[in-house]
Amino acid sequence: MFANFRLAMAWLHTWFGLVLGFVLMVVFFFGALSVFDREIDRWGIPASRFEPQPMPSFDKVLKPVFESMQPTQESIDRMRPRVDGPMPERYDTVRRWGAYTTHRDPVLGVFAGYEVPNAKDPDEAIFASRTIDPRTGAALPDDRLKIGSRFFYPLHYSLNFHWLDLGYWIVGLAALVMLAALVSGVVMHRKIFREFFTFRPRKSTQRSALDLHNLTGVVALPFHFFFAFTGLVIFAGLYFPVTHTQLHPLHELHEQHEEQETGLPQDRAGVPAPLASVDAMVAEAQRRWASRGMAGEVGFLALQHVGDANGYVSIYRAGTDRIALTGEGIHFKASTGEVLHEDPPPTAVASVAEFLTGLHLQHFRHWLLRWLYVLGGLAGCVCIATGLVFFVEKRKRQHAKQGSSGARVADAMAVTTVTGMLVATLGMLIANRLLPENLPNRGDWEQYCFWGAWLLAMAHAFWRTAPVAEGRLAPAWREQCWAVAAMAVAAVLLNWLTTGDHLLRTLAAGYWPVAGVDLFMLVSAALAAYAARRLGRRVRGAADARAMVAEAARA
Amino acid sequence: MPDALMLLAAVAASVAGMGWLALAMDVHWEQVRGDAPRRPACVACLRALGALALAASLALCLAVDHPSMAALVWVMALAAGALAVAMTLAWRPHWLAVLVMRAPGRVGA
Repeated sequence: MFANFRLAMAWLHTWFGLVLGFVLMVVFFFGALSVFDREIDRWGIPASRFEPQPMPSFDKVLKPVFESMQPTQESIDRMRPRVDGPMPERYDTVRRWGAYTTHRDPVLGVFAGYEVPNAKDPDEAIFASRTIDPRTGAALPDDRLKIGSRFFYPLHYSLNFHWLDLGYWIVGLAALVMLAALVSGVVMHRKIFREFFTFRPRKSTQRSALDLHNLTGVVALPFHFFFAFTGLVIFAGLYFPVTHTQLHPLHELHEQHEEQETGLPQDRAGVPAPLASVDAMVAEAQRRWASRGMAGEVGFLALQHVGDANGYVSIYRAGTDRIALTGEGIHFKASTGEVLHEDPPPTAVASVAEFLTGLHLQHFRHWLLRWLYVLGGLAGCVCIATGLVFFVEKRKRQHAKQGSSGARVADAMAVTTVTGMLVATLGMLIANRLLPENLPNRGDWEQYCFWGAWLLAMAHAFWRTAPVAEGRLAPAWREQCWAVAAMAVAAVLLNWLTTGDHLLRTLAAGYWPVAGVDLFMLVSAALAAYAARRLGRRVRGAADARAMVAEAARA
Repeated sequence: MPDALMLLAAVAASVAGMGWLALAMDVHWEQVRGDAPRRPACVACLRALGALALAASLALCLAVDHPSMAALVWVMALAAGALAVAMTLAWRPHWLAVLVMRAPGRVGA
């Protein structure tokens, strides 16, 4: 079919890259934003603009919160088809209470899982969750969307497309194709070392785009490879759901073995029991960590089988200073507070798994590495975007001659996914500041604004790429660059007008979550305006050249 | 030395190292130094210098963080260094002349 291996690789790289490049662009861009998901949450929810807090006292703050929680009507309705018979009014048999925090969280997310009587799968639980102010235990409004951690972040790995979990599968396929694209890209690239530092911005658009594509692909190759790979590792359980299908009996057996080894009961005893002071257990866990030379804060706190004689409390150390998310778990008997089990140091395999997931999820404290990840993610975006531009540049003249609209459609899609995505993101942030404070389901409206802005950008992209069909540059790029610049400045101004937190104040107070988001948007605005001006100059240059040719022809 | 400064030094070492490796290549040497002659020994010397700087960058990363984290910081710092050098070569190549102890004058000026 192909004359040689390199041509086969080129075909694979071109066509799979084109089709899944649009998905990968979304994955890379929102992945880069997710590095600062919690900071974006602070920007979007002004009531949560205070310093990160440690895990609060369980006995004083968390216990009353957990006791007042119940699943929402929505999750009860979702559970209904998987239950034989009617659903109960209240859920009182608690399977698990949990709270997870990191060094960047001012507010605390807590969850509770309850047993569902007559559930078709008796292992399935129904969940309730809440976000609280850990200083007081007061609940934050449920319909206030955490734009960073509940919208941009899931968009990164599921496209927020949950029907049949299809979003996860599309992203998984894209990650797999990305790995193939990296390998085939390296095979195609003849001068990987000779042109390692090469970017020639003054050459033709096609050449410059290819230079930039190679440069951003090659220098960040380890990043691209590791993030595509670890992303697949994180969702391996979803892509290969063997533990609860083919290997179900083995899984059950393993649970029994684990119970025997650790003394942590899998099931309730059915005998009610009181709960001892969890704060005392936390103090004991911290004392034990300190004695191992690993003093630290609590990252994850979980209570299993609450109110039962088999109940136990698991306390995990926050992985602030290492790659793994949490670790050094210590488990206590809930009714007495005696230590049941201390997790042994992880095995080699477990350490590798923790490292791979941890390096991708990055809950550690390392601001330089965080920014380097953003750089890696944006380098990936540049790599994909220039790949798309190269695809169009290479074909547009030929397509113009043949009267084919292939290049035009590809260019319109490229505009939609590159600048259109920025328009959608900024549209959402602007909506976040403009929508009335007490609008019911405010978070849903923010999401409609996001998708609406993206649709508008797409319509504009298809409308304003007509010149590509004649082999010229699409004005859509330049116009959307101007839109991005204007919208980014507008978002910063709206943040000032609606919250009073202007840059001078946030910078003076050293409040980086909001100052950082504002500064990032201003820098983006400057870059977008610069790009728009350069594109304008290029269009005028081309028009002048054509006019001179026409003039010469007439003379 | 505080951690932040050590990390800054690690990134600087990575940029310098990548810069020296680039200067060991004929195309980039011409971009930076124009017709200024360069002996073959100089190429080897630039390469060695580049490798040393990158190794120094790794050492600095290891001095600050747990090895698992230091490895990630170093790999990403290399990418940042290479990008910085490539962009400098594209827009302001003569700036890299400071790496060979020359004032960053315009080539041919």
